[in-house]
Amino acid sequence: MSMQKANNKSGFFANLVRKQIFIPIAALLLLAIFNLIADPSFYKITLGYNSAGDPVLSGYLMTILDYGSELAILAIGMTFVTAASGGQDISVGATMAIAGSVVLRVLCGTNSRPETLQAPIIVAFLVACVVSMLFGAFNGALVAYFRIQPMVATLILFTAGRSIAAWINNNELPIVSEPSFGYYGGFIPGIPIPTPFFIALACVVVIGIVLKVTTLRLYIQSVGINESSSRLNGLNPEMIKLLSFVILGVCVAVAGFIKVSRLSSINYSVIAKDIEMDAILAVALGGNSLGGGKFNMTASILGAYVIQFLTTTLYKFNVQSDALPAYKAVVVIALVVLSAPVVRDSLSRWWKQLRKSGAKEVA
Amino acid sequence: MANKTSAGSSLGAKFKNMTDTNLLLTITIVVFFVMYIGAIVFQGKGFLKPQTFMNILNANAALIITACGMSLVMITGGIDISVGGVAALVSMCCAVYLDFKGGNVFGAILIAVGIGIAFGLVQGFLVAYLEIQPFIVSLAGMFFARGMTTIVNTNPFNVENEAFVALKDTRIRIPGLGSVNKLGKYVPAYIEIGVVVALLVVLILFCLLRWTKMGRAFYAVGGNNQSALMLGINVKRTKFASHMLCSFLAGIGGFVYFLHVGSGSASHASGMEMNAIASSIIGGTMLTGGVGNIIGSFFGVLSLSTIQNIVSSAGLDEAWWTGITVAAMLCLFLVIQSVIMARKKRALNK
Amino acid sequence: MMARKKFWVAVVVIILCIFIFLGRESPQTADKEEEETVTEESIVVGFSQLGAESDWRSANSESMRATFTEENGYKLIFEDGQQKQANQIMAIRTFIQQEVDYIVLAPVTETGWDTVLQEAKDAGIPVIIVDRMVNVSDESLFVCWVGSDFELEGRRAAEWLNQYTQIHDIPPEEINIVNIQGTIGASAQIGRTKGLADASRSNGWNLLEAVPGDFTRAKGREVMESLLKKYNNINVVYCENDNEALGAIDAIETAGKRVGSHITHGEIMVISFDGVNQEAMQHVKDGKIRCIAECNPLHGPRVRTIIEMLEEGGVPDKFYYVEEGMYTHDDTVKSVTVDGKVYPVTVVRHVGGENFH
Repeated sequence: MSMQKANNKSGFFANLVRKQIFIPIAALLLLAIFNLIADPSFYKITLGYNSAGDPVLSGYLMTILDYGSELAILAIGMTFVTAASGGQDISVGATMAIAGSVVLRVLCGTNSRPETLQAPIIVAFLVACVVSMLFGAFNGALVAYFRIQPMVATLILFTAGRSIAAWINNNELPIVSEPSFGYYGGFIPGIPIPTPFFIALACVVVIGIVLKVTTLRLYIQSVGINESSSRLNGLNPEMIKLLSFVILGVCVAVAGFIKVSRLSSINYSVIAKDIEMDAILAVALGGNSLGGGKFNMTASILGAYVIQFLTTTLYKFNVQSDALPAYKAVVVIALVVLSAPVVRDSLSRWWKQLRKSGAKEVA
Repeated sequence: MANKTSAGSSLGAKFKNMTDTNLLLTITIVVFFVMYIGAIVFQGKGFLKPQTFMNILNANAALIITACGMSLVMITGGIDISVGGVAALVSMCCAVYLDFKGGNVFGAILIAVGIGIAFGLVQGFLVAYLEIQPFIVSLAGMFFARGMTTIVNTNPFNVENEAFVALKDTRIRIPGLGSVNKLGKYVPAYIEIGVVVALLVVLILFCLLRWTKMGRAFYAVGGNNQSALMLGINVKRTKFASHMLCSFLAGIGGFVYFLHVGSGSASHASGMEMNAIASSIIGGTMLTGGVGNIIGSFFGVLSLSTIQNIVSSAGLDEAWWTGITVAAMLCLFLVIQSVIMARKKRALNK
Repeated sequence: MMARKKFWVAVVVIILCIFIFLGRESPQTADKEEEETVTEESIVVGFSQLGAESDWRSANSESMRATFTEENGYKLIFEDGQQKQANQIMAIRTFIQQEVDYIVLAPVTETGWDTVLQEAKDAGIPVIIVDRMVNVSDESLFVCWVGSDFELEGRRAAEWLNQYTQIHDIPPEEINIVNIQGTIGASAQIGRTKGLADASRSNGWNLLEAVPGDFTRAKGREVMESLLKKYNNINVVYCENDNEALGAIDAIETAGKRVGSHITHGEIMVISFDGVNQEAMQHVKDGKIRCIAECNPLHGPRVRTIIEMLEEGGVPDKFYYVEEGMYTHDDTVKSVTVDGKVYPVTVVRHVGGENFH
């Protein structure tokens, strides 16, 4: 009797642990508890008014919601690319710079400091989407048709992206003075929650619907798991890989748009620096295999917010922005080591032995 | 000679690959010379001087060393993008040690080698024995090294240690090469100590890959894990050795870089990993593993820096041109490789 | 296959030989060309700019480009060092190889230039330093230096704050300053930081913290955000250039605080440098930035004057300081006096419109 109970208990735990979403949730809880003990004021949210007299919520949680959202948008695309191609796109930061540069170029025209907008914001956004989809397609083509490893193929844009971004605007630093442009990266008057959160929400809903009603998930997973057998089943693996990079392109455009909206300007060498690391980390933290195949979108998105939670926590403890990567690297290594098949195998063997001996004792 | 051929045929796969290696190597060398001669023809003045070429060597000695290490890893089918970060960390640690802790140059070299070996041990273990993707491991390694550099010291500074500055300014004059300056004075061409180190590294690694068991194991593991295993090669140990060597060389490269710039800064050697990978690819090392050549990597570095030099002396004054040309060149060589691979596959299928 | 390999090795060796041979022959041939061309062709100026981090820098580059044009009889080779000394040293070596007539250097840091400047001197090429200073053991390594007295700028800005607070009867212990510094090691950062630190000490202000902001808007904003979270009593922000000031204003307004001059009533006063950025000048008009100590970037014509002087065999002054003033929103402080010298204060505000009363 008692033995059965013990079995049930461990079974429940094992189930929970085996659930993919367990990893980001556990990480989130760990961070949340840590902050609660270290300094409960971390959770303080204050309602203030910005210079335009509109209500804004501020506090660390709002920062996480704000900056985590652009990361979540990137994580969506990165999950698709990872699942389909078994590799990651390291050019997202550079492509964001390009997308942002395009937005400003369209808005400002030839003059870098226009009094009025030269084009509607939606046009600028759409142009940026198209450009960034093209760059995504370029990456995708190299990966799918030329069979170059994704990380190396995207290395090209990683190297050239920021240069291209500077070139689009003649290395000038255009500034948009129109206040409504700032709404997308800041606050819409009257709504005290940062806009990027709503944009991310919209993206999540769209992707959720797409995954629900289309066979995209199935196709991407089967290409990621076994390319040749999916080809035998009548799929076109090249096309699907290309598609995943194009989807990432759209995500990058949205994130880049938010980034330039925050500043109403751009700094080519600094904007979205190291964000590729965070995006990849979000996917890994979501428990997705970085080698491709099955994926869990919810876990990735949650992973993105956890990463931002970690970043904000580190900032709060006065870690310099340039030193952040060192801490994150430790987290990444811990994660990949834990999720490595070799380690998992030996861990599960160890766990089984532990259970066996535990069961014996109880009996 | 006969000895070598027989050794080659005993490893059939390697022999097949050697043709690829040669073809890619040839392309690289031809591209380099065409580019350099083109530069002499169109922008004569500067490129005719021996010192221009020596300057390319001086400025890229560290890159040559790291690119060689990168080629080793890539030949075994891996990749290591932490080399730039390691180089920056080495520069900063050595700078802090020399100027703030009153250390000597010998100790600084030990630090450099120690950092390299430490990264090699951890990354090699994770890649070879825990079978984690090398890209992710070294990505984390890169961020760790960059972050640590800032933690060690935030602000860039120039080293004033006398012994070190003397070493840094040591010039080896090349007899018989030189040019006359505007005032009619003869200025002999020179190289820095780092170049000697780099050339030694190239030579040693070339011999290692060509004539040792370990070198052949590198090619075999990169070519095909399974068959290498069947040939009785310890795949894990070989992979570990390649990462170890690469990080070790990154440590040495970091010191040579430090010797060239003479300062510590968190932004040092930024993009070095990308340049090293690009040089290796341009030099004919295949990303899929099993194909590559140290001499090619050497010429890869030279091609890369020559094109940068041409771009800047052509008066394409904007900073972005360098990035774009390097990327374009990388893209071109990647496509060439991919086409060669595809053709080879088709030939095999026939 | 071995044969083919040997063939290629031979080709390489031959090409190398040709190359070295050419290299040895080069001095004479190159020299002849040189003599022919130098008299009739334009003066070649190699300019190693340190980067494009701020509007000041862009205006500086633009001024050089606009001055050294083909029409004026010059050829400008422009190299962007992207904030790295190694790149700039490489650029200077390239200039030496190309035998330019003059090298103009805007150095990224002060130290570490001895070797390469010695090379330029050996090659007989005069070097003119602009903007930031170089710290070399032998001052004959460069012909002259053109730029601003950054410490004086810092002291002017601090003196303005001193007079402003005295006029408004704000006790010095109530002034809580944060300093958003420039790139550490740059002359502008060193001078402006020192100007403020000295003034804080002698006037008894609270200098809460000095944090580097790299002269960029993004970093200025980031730094200010974390400073605002750390201290709740900041009432003066001293930004070492306009771009940082813009970033700081973004951060302050996003955090729901106000920029202005009522520093005893919760407003935060922004003091800045340069006065090149149009948006910053607009902010001065609007009163968001109270005071800017000017730093003039238009070095092109000044460098040209020096080169023309050198061409005629003249000897320019070793240090050429640029005359600069102040921009403020109101005329509370009429003029600023430092070391007995009076510096004019220019009031910038909306003419006629609603703000004028």
